[in-house]
Order: sequence, then structure tokens, then C-alpha cells
Amino acid sequence: MTGSALPGFPRPVPRWRELGLLAVVAGALLLGGLSLGTTRTGRLALAHPAGLATYLGALAAVHVALVLAGRRVDEVLLPTVGMLGGIGLLLAERLPQDLVVQRVGSATLGLASLQLLWLVLALAIAGLVAIAVRSDRWLRLYKYSWAALGLGLLLLTFVFGREVNGSILTLDLGPVSWQPSELLKVILVIFFAGYLAENRVLLADARVHVAGRLTLLPAPYLLPAALMLALALGIVVIQRDLGAALLFFSVFLCLFYLASGSKVDVLLGIALFLLGFAVLALVFATVRERVATWLDPWADPLGTGYQTIQALHAFARGGLLGTGLGAGLPAVAGQLPIPAVHTDFPLAALGEELGMTGVVAILGCYLVIVSRGLRIAAGAADDVRALLAAGLALVIGVQAVIIAAGNLKLIPLTGITLPFISYGGSSLLVNGLVVGLLLAFSDRGPVPPAAPRRAHRLGRKKA
Amino acid sequence: MTAAGMGRRGRRPLGARVVRLGVALAIAFGGVALGAGYWQVLRADDLSHDPSDAGVIAAARSTVRGRILDRDGRVLATNRRDPSGELYRVYADRSLSAPLGYVSSLYGSAGLEAADASVLLGLGGDDPLSRALAKFRAPTQRGDDLRTSLSLTLQRLAVRLLGADRGAVVALDPRTGDVLALASTPTFDASGVADPATARAAFSAALDDPGQPLLDRATQGLYVPGSAFKIVTAIAGFSSGAINAATAFPQQPGDETTGLLVDGFRIVDGHHLFTGSEALDFARATEVSCNIWYALAGLRTGGAAMDAAARRLGFGAPIPFDLPTARSQLTNGGGPLPGGFADDVELANAAYGQGEVLVTPLQMALVAATVANGGVEPRPRLVTGLVSPSGAVSNVPAATLGRVLSAQDAATIAGAMVQAVEGVDGQKFTEGAQVAGVTVAGKTGTAQLGGTGEPNSWFIGFAPAEAPTIALAVIVEHGGSGGSRAAPLAGDLLRAYFAGQP
Repeated sequence: MTGSALPGFPRPVPRWRELGLLAVVAGALLLGGLSLGTTRTGRLALAHPAGLATYLGALAAVHVALVLAGRRVDEVLLPTVGMLGGIGLLLAERLPQDLVVQRVGSATLGLASLQLLWLVLALAIAGLVAIAVRSDRWLRLYKYSWAALGLGLLLLTFVFGREVNGSILTLDLGPVSWQPSELLKVILVIFFAGYLAENRVLLADARVHVAGRLTLLPAPYLLPAALMLALALGIVVIQRDLGAALLFFSVFLCLFYLASGSKVDVLLGIALFLLGFAVLALVFATVRERVATWLDPWADPLGTGYQTIQALHAFARGGLLGTGLGAGLPAVAGQLPIPAVHTDFPLAALGEELGMTGVVAILGCYLVIVSRGLRIAAGAADDVRALLAAGLALVIGVQAVIIAAGNLKLIPLTGITLPFISYGGSSLLVNGLVVGLLLAFSDRGPVPPAAPRRAHRLGRKKA
Repeated sequence: MTAAGMGRRGRRPLGARVVRLGVALAIAFGGVALGAGYWQVLRADDLSHDPSDAGVIAAARSTVRGRILDRDGRVLATNRRDPSGELYRVYADRSLSAPLGYVSSLYGSAGLEAADASVLLGLGGDDPLSRALAKFRAPTQRGDDLRTSLSLTLQRLAVRLLGADRGAVVALDPRTGDVLALASTPTFDASGVADPATARAAFSAALDDPGQPLLDRATQGLYVPGSAFKIVTAIAGFSSGAINAATAFPQQPGDETTGLLVDGFRIVDGHHLFTGSEALDFARATEVSCNIWYALAGLRTGGAAMDAAARRLGFGAPIPFDLPTARSQLTNGGGPLPGGFADDVELANAAYGQGEVLVTPLQMALVAATVANGGVEPRPRLVTGLVSPSGAVSNVPAATLGRVLSAQDAATIAGAMVQAVEGVDGQKFTEGAQVAGVTVAGKTGTAQLGGTGEPNSWFIGFAPAEAPTIALAVIVEHGGSGGSRAAPLAGDLLRAYFAGQP
């Protein structure tokens, strides 16, 4: 390649679409910061300008890095993720800063500073992975090792995990607490993609006739699926984490469908999960309690149902257009109405301040991420790559659906995070990794040589 | 199949499946968005205006609560500041404790103060447009005033007339449903509960009072109605065509002495021996309050028609009203006979207001108002308008709950009710309800409660019978016969009402 590239460096490829979308995101976030600052101070002011500038700077840096790297990767993912992360940052600035306090060296950081720190790190990971990962060999060759690592992580949490809000999700590593199930979801996607791609032919062809048009897979091929089901239900029981179980199993079913094309198997999987869950609810009081709280939180409005009810009230106060950033979440005696709003109920807080309009817009952003991921999957060179891309996008999309539906009392409430918006280092860093991998897998290869046909014709004419 | 062939077959393009998966995800997101719509649009009002809503509670601490006014603009509830600068509520009169309730930083709120908290706190009306527009204005420091239909004069008088007795009075304008008085005794010291300095003492006094003053008997009290319920039976009989003005039962005079045998159960009456062998028609039976006639009329009407008429009047469901209301009932339900009656004995007893019939005083006032209003039941209302701090008034329109019976049948029943108060034999029971110069229509009730206690004393009625402007229901617990206690009380109230009319 020749032209403007420096020796030893790839030729920069301009990314106008991404730049344009990033400008829109910057404009929206500035407007949000202005709205929040004005509500808070009573005069025209920008809330926490340094934080917003840092965040927009980090987005710009990733953009410039992708341009300089010269890879032709997806141009919509970064701005979409940037929008969601920015909304999360605005929310973190808007909430009381003492919700999370951590000492880093001599400095004491509050909620917004920590969220900003994690966001910038997540963007850095996304950028680095997008530029550095050229091949997925290291992912596909060692799929069983990855699976073993994942199970190891899970076991580690079972054994050493700390209980928070009735779920065992947190692993303490010195001063940093870490939620391994966040990383586990990526590892599982890698394993599923490798396994399902390898066995795709068998999954599609080796079917046993049952009755009429109904066919089923022979037992040996169902074993991994059964193991997955057992793992998911095991997580419900041992970790008491319905959210992660639902997420893992849904993503597994989606990928299984992509690989086998069999809707019957998927429906069967859903039925078995529901059946298993019903049995668990009959056996374990804690599961039963969760379901009861979901069905009727008003049965115990000041106890188990409190959080759920307060969240629904927040949605209701928001109405169609919301109260405006900073004008909602009325604190009574200095207490926010929803406990754990920054981790478990960010959508309720945003639903109040941005209204149903804001909620639908946020859901739309997640749908954009899913559609980009599926696009990358459809255009992928082989099955492993396709299933990897689809799985990674689904991990984000399905997780968003589960927690949003939980906040809105459509399904039982779960403790998983709202990707890119909830406070939490593990979640942000892992989701940054997911975006980086998606970007890397979307590479359309080097720029094709410019317009050879026209040059050829000119040459002929001259001759 | 060769390995290559199998491979080719297995590597079917994922395209269509990817699209289908994308559609499935889009549907899931759409479902979540619909969920947001349910809570943020459909359920937005009732959740965000609930007294337990954090927004309402927070506003209560920062907003000056709107005042509550009576129909003439007299202030029923206003605010005062305690030494620390915190606002608390003061009420014009103890007699208002049932309809207005209280609001307290310690004990929450009740009555109209709870039901209309969001309006009193200026959190906007119910229409989405004005709420959306309100976002662009400065936050309110003052809530809206509530203009009610109550008459402080009548309210005070009703409570005074009930005196030391437990009971309730509901008076309303049958044309509009405007509630003029909604009294429940005993009352409690709502101002005392609202004042932080006296709240504990006042609230525990109200809680410990064996008379249960915190129960609003007018809307929540459930009573056996006795003969006052015969008007409901008449409405059911006339509207189903089972009975008419000329209906008479030949066996009725005989049964007056021997008792009416229904399924082996003997219904005895015998309190109007002077009618002797006369087979009473509808008006006469109503005038002398003949239980035998009404038991026979109820049996002829049947459980299904009784149930249908009662439901049209509002039985079986909370009455749509500014305050929460208890459900009146015709039967306990679940019986094998139409309408949920256990047997014909229960039906015959229910027809004259015994059996398993339980009613709220508000429901019975609406029965009287329906007859007074030509068969159309008015929707009761307490709040007639909202006055914003800037003086803008938005009126709450009057509404009806629909036609219950034809105007002609209503006129016939009204005529019988006039006879029950003004007739030669009627006034033997109900003379106390008469008002000089005004024709009063009414029906007493003497509700036997079983045991040895005095019966509950009922009166329902309206006046002037030619063009009614007031309908009422009076219940005095253990007050004796309807004619001895409730009817004179109603007469006193009506006299005061008409004396105050221009």
C-alpha cells in the first residue's frame, strides 16, 4: 500500500459516519448536562463539566485510534455505546455521590468519579481489543479450556463469594470486588459458538423422528444443552441469581436456534426452563418468595415489595415526558425513594426523569447494538465468527431486556446490571470487552484497490 | 453422503435465521416498551397521585396545602404554622372529621385529605396535557383549593342531631349528586391529630374510643337496612314488571295474623292491625310498611330481578365517589338460587330489608335520590371545583350513574313514599319527618339486629316531593324504631335546610 501512510503504519481510514454520530451523542450529552446543571443550580450551568469533557475526550480518542489503525470496522456501535454510557454518567452525577465511596490512594472518589473511571477504562479496553484482535483462533481453538475457566470462575464464586442483596455474586479481591458472572457470560458465548459451529451439521441433520413433523435431536447431542440447563438452574439455586441464569440460558437458546434452525428445540428449551423453575419455586422458599414478590409486591409494601413498588411509582411519576434530569426522585428526609437505584433500578430513575420517551429511546439504543451484532453475524466469514458476533451482541441485548422487564415488573426482578448504564466496574469493563470484540469481528478487511475498471478503460482509449 | 456434501449442506446461510432472531429480539424490546407505557401512561395517575407516593410525601413537606372550602366558600380546612415553622392543618369543626379526614406528619392521612392529596399539593390534575405543560412552569409552592358541595351549616346540624348516638347522615342534591352533609358520629379531633404538638394524644384518643370514630360510617359503615330497603324491592318489582301500583295479595290480610309461611319458616308482622282485612295495594303497603306484602312482592319479583336492580343501584361494587366506599350487598352470594339467595326464606326476608342485606348510608341516600330524580341515579360528588393559587377555577362536572327505572315508576314509588310520611296511616309512624309547607317523601326502617339490643333506626327520603332538591338517609345505631328517632332527625334537618333556602 502506498499514499499517506507512514512507513510501518497502516494507512488511516476516515470514519465520517462514526464522527457524525459521535457529534450527535456529544450534543445530546451536553444538553443533558446543561439540563441537569440548570435544574440543580437554578441558573444556566453545565453539570460537572470536567467529567463530561473527560468522557467525550475518551470517546474521541477511541475514534481517532480506530481511524489511525486503518481497520474498516463497524461505525455505529461506538456512538451507540457512547450514548448509553453517557446517560449512565449523567445519572451517576445526578444521584447522591455518597452512594458509592472508594479510597484510591489519597483520593476519595464518589459515585460519578468512579463511574467515569470505569467508563474510560471500558472505552480503552474496547478500543484496544478492536484494534489489536486480528484473529479469533485463540478463542475457537481452546473452547473447552475457556469453558473450564468459566466453570472455575463460577465455582470460585460459589465457594468464596460474598452475599449481597440475597444473591452470591461478588468476589472480593483485595480492595476491589468483582462479579465473575459478568466475565462468565463472555466465556460461555465463546464456548457455545465453538461447540455449536463444530456440531452444526450434526445438529441439523442427525434428527430422530418422533411423530408427524416433530423431530428431536438424539440424546448424545442434547447432553450439552441439558448441562447448560442444569447450569442455569444451578445458578438460580446456589447463587440465587435468576437474572444470570435467564441470561445464559436465553443466549444459549438463541445461538442454538441460529446453529440448528429448529424452533421446536427452542420452544422445548423454554418449556423445560419454565418447568425447572417452577419445580425450584416449589422446593426452595427463597425462589418462591421472589416469585410472590413479583406477582404481588403490594402484599408487603414496606418489606419485600418496597423496592419494586417504589420503582413503579418512579416510572409513573415520569409519565410520558419525564420530570427532567435532576428534577425527579423526590428525597424524603434525605433518602432516595428507591434503594440500590444506581445498580438495580437505573431504568426506573431514568424513566422518571426522562419519561417513557427516554425509556423507549434507551431501549432503542440496545436494539441498535443487537441489530449491528446480528449484521456482523450475517456477514461473517464462517460459523464460529457468526455465532460469536451474534452471541456477544445478544449478551448485551438480552441482559438489557431482562433487567428492564424486571424493573417494569414484567418478569421477576433480577440483580443483573443494565449494560453501560448501571454503576459497576465488572459490568462496564466486560461490556467494553464485548464491544471491542464485536468491533474486531466486524472488520471488512483492507480497503480494496481504488477503481481499477475506470483506469483500465482510460488506458484502452488512449491506446 | 460424502464429507464434502455434508459440509455443504450444513453450511446453510444463517441469513434468514439471523433476521428471525432479530425480529424476536425487537418484539421482546417492544414488549418492554409496552410495559413502560402501561406504568408510565395508563397507571401513571393512580400511582403518582397515591398518598404513599414519594412525590406526594415530598411535596407535602415543601408545599402549602390547598384549603378545603364548603359550597358557600366557607373555609373548612386551612393551614397554621407551629413554632418550628412547620405547617399543619386546622379544621373548621369536629363535625367534618369523617368526610375531610386528617393529614398528619406522624399518622399519614385519611378522608378527602388522602383521596385528593395530589390536587391539594398542586401536583396537577388528571389530564396529561396540563401535567406536561406544568413542567415548563416554576414548581408550585401552593396547592389548589378544593371547593366542596358540603354545607357547613347542615353538616354541623347533622352531627349535633345525632348527638351522643352512633350513626350517620347523608344528604345530597338528587339533581346533581352534590353531597350537602356527610356526617358520621362519634367524631374525632382531626385538628388535634394534625397539630404535631397534640397529635399523639389526639390520635390515640380516637383509636381507643370504643365508638370507632376513625370509621366513616356514612361511606364505610354496613348496616341492616330494615324497611327502608322496601324502596329497593319496589324499584326491582316495578322495573321487572312483577308488581305495579294495583298489585295486592289476597292472602296478605290473613297472614297478618297467622304469619306468612315460606318453606316452613313463618314471617310474622302484625304491627298495623288497624288495616284488618284490607288487601293492601302498593301505596298502602308502603304507607303502613307491610312486611307480608313486601315479602310476597319480593318472592314474585324473584332473586334475579332483585339482584339486577340492586346492582343497577350500585350494590356489589364500591360507589364511584371522592371517598372510598364499602360495597353494599343483597346476599352473601354463593347461594344456589338466582341472585345468590340461599333459599326463598332469605329472599322473602331480604325483600323487607332483613336477611343478609347490608347497606351503606350513602347507598341508601342514593336509592332515595334515584326515586327523587325520576329514576336516574346521580353520581355523588363531594368536590365541585378546583381553585388554583392564581384564582383559576376548574369545575368538576356533575354526572349520573345511569337510569335505574322509568320516570313513571319513579313517580309511582315517590307517591307511595309521600303517603308514608303525609298519609293518614303513614304519619302514625313517620310524623316526625314532616315539614310545615313542604311535602316530604320518605320511608322509615327499623332494623332488627337479633339479640336483645334496640333496633337500628332508619329514614330515607326527599323533599319537596313535587321537585326534590334534597335527598337523605339517616341511620341511628340502636335508635329504636325508624319513626321514633331517624324520622324526627330528618325532619329537623329538612326544616333547617328549607329555612335556609331563599
